[in-house]
Amino acid sequence: MFQDEHNLRKAIGGMGIDTEPNPAHRQRLRRQMLATFEAAGTSPTVAAPKRVRLVSIMLAKLAVAAVIVMAAVLGIQQILRLSAGPLTFNQVRQATEKMTWLHAVVTEYRNGAVRTDEQWDNLEARKTYTLTADGSVLHANYGAAQQKFFYSPQVKAMVITELPSKGIWGAESAHTLVGTFAVFAAQDDVTVSEWSDQYEGETVRTFELDRSNPGIKVDGKAVARLRVRLMADLETRRLVAAHIEKQGARGMMLAREEWVVSYPQSGPDSLYALGVPRSVRVIDRTAQVIGTPPAEPRPISTPGDTGRSKLVPLKIELPKPLFVGTPQDNRVPNLARPRRGARPPFPAPPGTTNVAAGKPVASSDAEPLIGTLDMVTDGDKEAADGSFLELGPGLQHVTLDLQGRYEIYAVVVWHYHQQPRVYFDVVVQVSDRPKFGRGVTTVFNSDIDDSAGLEKGRDLHYTETNEGKLINTKGVVARYVRLYSQGNTSDELNHYIEVEVYGRPVR
Amino acid sequence: MVGAMAKPVEQTPYDDLVVQAKTEAGALARLYDLYYDRIFKFCVHRLYNRATAEDITSGVFLTVAGSMRDFKGRTEQDFRAWIYTIAANQANAYIRKTSRRKRLMENVVATRRAAEPGVSPWSQLDWPTLYNAIGELKPEHQTVLTLRFFEDMDYDEIGRIMDIKPGTIRVTLHRLLRKLKEGLRDDLGGEA
Repeated sequence: MFQDEHNLRKAIGGMGIDTEPNPAHRQRLRRQMLATFEAAGTSPTVAAPKRVRLVSIMLAKLAVAAVIVMAAVLGIQQILRLSAGPLTFNQVRQATEKMTWLHAVVTEYRNGAVRTDEQWDNLEARKTYTLTADGSVLHANYGAAQQKFFYSPQVKAMVITELPSKGIWGAESAHTLVGTFAVFAAQDDVTVSEWSDQYEGETVRTFELDRSNPGIKVDGKAVARLRVRLMADLETRRLVAAHIEKQGARGMMLAREEWVVSYPQSGPDSLYALGVPRSVRVIDRTAQVIGTPPAEPRPISTPGDTGRSKLVPLKIELPKPLFVGTPQDNRVPNLARPRRGARPPFPAPPGTTNVAAGKPVASSDAEPLIGTLDMVTDGDKEAADGSFLELGPGLQHVTLDLQGRYEIYAVVVWHYHQQPRVYFDVVVQVSDRPKFGRGVTTVFNSDIDDSAGLEKGRDLHYTETNEGKLINTKGVVARYVRLYSQGNTSDELNHYIEVEVYGRPVR
Repeated sequence: MVGAMAKPVEQTPYDDLVVQAKTEAGALARLYDLYYDRIFKFCVHRLYNRATAEDITSGVFLTVAGSMRDFKGRTEQDFRAWIYTIAANQANAYIRKTSRRKRLMENVVATRRAAEPGVSPWSQLDWPTLYNAIGELKPEHQTVLTLRFFEDMDYDEIGRIMDIKPGTIRVTLHRLLRKLKEGLRDDLGGEA
């Protein structure tokens, strides 16, 4: 055996096996490793000499003492607060309206459909911006302008009207939910109750008003009963959530809304930040003009019906679901809440089809670990083994060549839906250039910390389901579609079951 | 008579580094610099394909980074055993997936060269042929062979990594070499 071992070692020594590492990989992995180490919660401090460590220990002891003192102070404050009585609605209103920006994610349940909109309130400037699920933008200026702007991507026009001068949503009313609540609460025939409650594991103060015949309608039906429930955080005293119910005759639920509220440092500075094109056609009903800024205004006229404003629901075939419900991974920040019920139909112009079917796919990973690139557009959306493409760890992308320019209205992507996973740094871009060097439009970006280096995103992470992720691309024109991701909640690998691109040829 | 003396733990100048690396990114980065080449080399020997070796190397160090603060060891010897265990497990897990293994072996077979008559068989043994023969063994046995002949580790160290007694390693290696010779018999011209 000794002779064989010796011979084998000698043979191995003479083989010249290339084990020289790639310096680029070494550097890249070093960065990723240190980022993982930091994310795992270990303090990223550089080794300090012993003297500094002794000072650190002393400082740590002082910090502990400070924490004890602070806890004592806070405890006293808490006692004082409790002795002052429970949180009042006026205190909530003051604390909420003192902030500069308020952001709300509003989920509306109506007519069996579910829709999620986002709203930003600039409380200082008295302006609100709402981005709806279908890409429409509503902006209300309760300040000097007293105007409402509504943009529809389907109609590709923006209508400007005056705010109603009277009524609960009118110019003289408050522009915030807490302000509107106060207006209703002040009316004679409204009952308001309050109590302490639990919301997402925290104790909150809840205020609820109940108003009969509030004078509003839903889909043409008069609301017979309006219930608005606001929940406020005891520490900050600010609004954190709201539930709104609009009931018709005989208690039938006409519409229901759930609001989740936060207070960011900033928000959109104009409509255009929410995707309204600067060249949009404007119909200004306040000035009786029609035109496109900075074009000369023309007398108002009703635009002819070109038929392009007619929209039809997209038919998207779905694979079998492999799990029930959408469990939430609470470790994932900025995660979209699961929708109750099926995704509402997506409206698109007539003639819109999946133009990616069978089209060629390229990838950043030259050797996929499992599957082949053509699986991405082969029409097989099932999550079974043998139906998905697995790419290596780290940031990877696939690029679809539509082999022509198309008006793209939606991209639907299925990464992997055998289990409820969340994929990170999902960025979807379109371009007319295969290398995506210039002329790139980003249509979706959930990379909230710019770890992919493509730009910080604002879209929410989402849990994979059999419905796939539908991205509204608002008719952007392009030939190539690229999808990035960087691992998921189960492993560092990247997966694609299918990508569909709904569009129609450029006319 | 005093009982059997405890086996002395190998001490290296990097023991402090291992302890520091549990909380300090700078120390972990230095450990990375020390071990990157070794782990990459091990992965190339286990997986044959450089790109795959890079992927597994990435997996190993990301696992180390994520678990370093919970690492119970206190010496470089402990760390070495730990990181090689991770590397061995990840490489074996990769090879166990049939589709990957099939692709891997197709790659290997494609690069084998034919034996030349009259030339000493051991000196003719090329890397694809050897890898093909090792690939016929169980993944755990492949790991033992790689650690012994490619990473030049002794039986004690291999035992720490594989969690097997050193004596068992010796016997296992003996049997594996015999099996390897039988597998290479044709390539070595019937002589072993």
